[in-house]
Amino acid sequence: MLALIYFIILAVITLGAAACVLLSRHPLYGGLSLIVSMVSLAGIYGLIGSPFLGVVQVMVYAGAIMMLVTFVIMVLNGARDSKTPMFDKVSLFIIPAVIVLAGLVGFALVRSPLAFDTTTLRGSVALTSKTLFDVAQTGPGYFVLFEILGLLLLSAMVAAVLLAKKRLGSVESENMEDKH
Amino acid sequence: MELQPIFIQLLALALFAIGIMVAISRRNLFFVLMGIELALNAVNLSFVGFAKTLPDTMSVAGQIIPLFSIAIAAAEACVGFAMVIFIFRNRESIDADTYSDMRG
Repeated sequence: MLALIYFIILAVITLGAAACVLLSRHPLYGGLSLIVSMVSLAGIYGLIGSPFLGVVQVMVYAGAIMMLVTFVIMVLNGARDSKTPMFDKVSLFIIPAVIVLAGLVGFALVRSPLAFDTTTLRGSVALTSKTLFDVAQTGPGYFVLFEILGLLLLSAMVAAVLLAKKRLGSVESENMEDKH
Repeated sequence: MELQPIFIQLLALALFAIGIMVAISRRNLFFVLMGIELALNAVNLSFVGFAKTLPDTMSVAGQIIPLFSIAIAAAEACVGFAMVIFIFRNRESIDADTYSDMRG
């Protein structure tokens, strides 16, 4: 009963913040309400028994990714062209279509039998680390995936640096520096 | 009345729908990326919700995969915002409608 009350509170916060993302005009307000949504989702993870995932959610999503979002918004001064309409004629078709699609999927979900299993494992730090790194017990699958993920993050970082840096010495960058 | 797994799935579905709406209907590139992040979050929540309906060792996978999904989302946000900066330098605009001629 208490879990249901907590879940309803957190779900209302999550959905309200997500609706704020949809309706807010300035991207900075959208980013801030997205942070609220992420943090309350972390609370839901803790509530249904995956505390480590909730901690990772707070660290990576609400910390790192949203820091990147707000940083880029502030660097680019994203309020500059907020004169364009928030929703146009295409949105009139997209939003009902998505709502109808969600209604169909929700109908199929409600019809399916789902129940919590009492023997399910709690996703604690010990269980997660044992699954990821104890190669003798769980096989090398997750560990190889973990290493590949490190390579992916490294290549993403290199790609981001290469994309976002100014090309020093080129004609374009000098023109840009003159302009600013 | 106790907490049912279907509530978690419905919450994930609503979040996913809002994320898709934000990603498709908004014109600002930041909102497009934020909508993608919302939809990814909803998928993670759905993973964990379904993992809790499985018996003991089977429920581990559904709680490990979202970790990888979060890391991939971090990489995606990193490259995505670098692309936004790159495009903004070329066009001086973050309105998605101004990038409609496929020349880069």
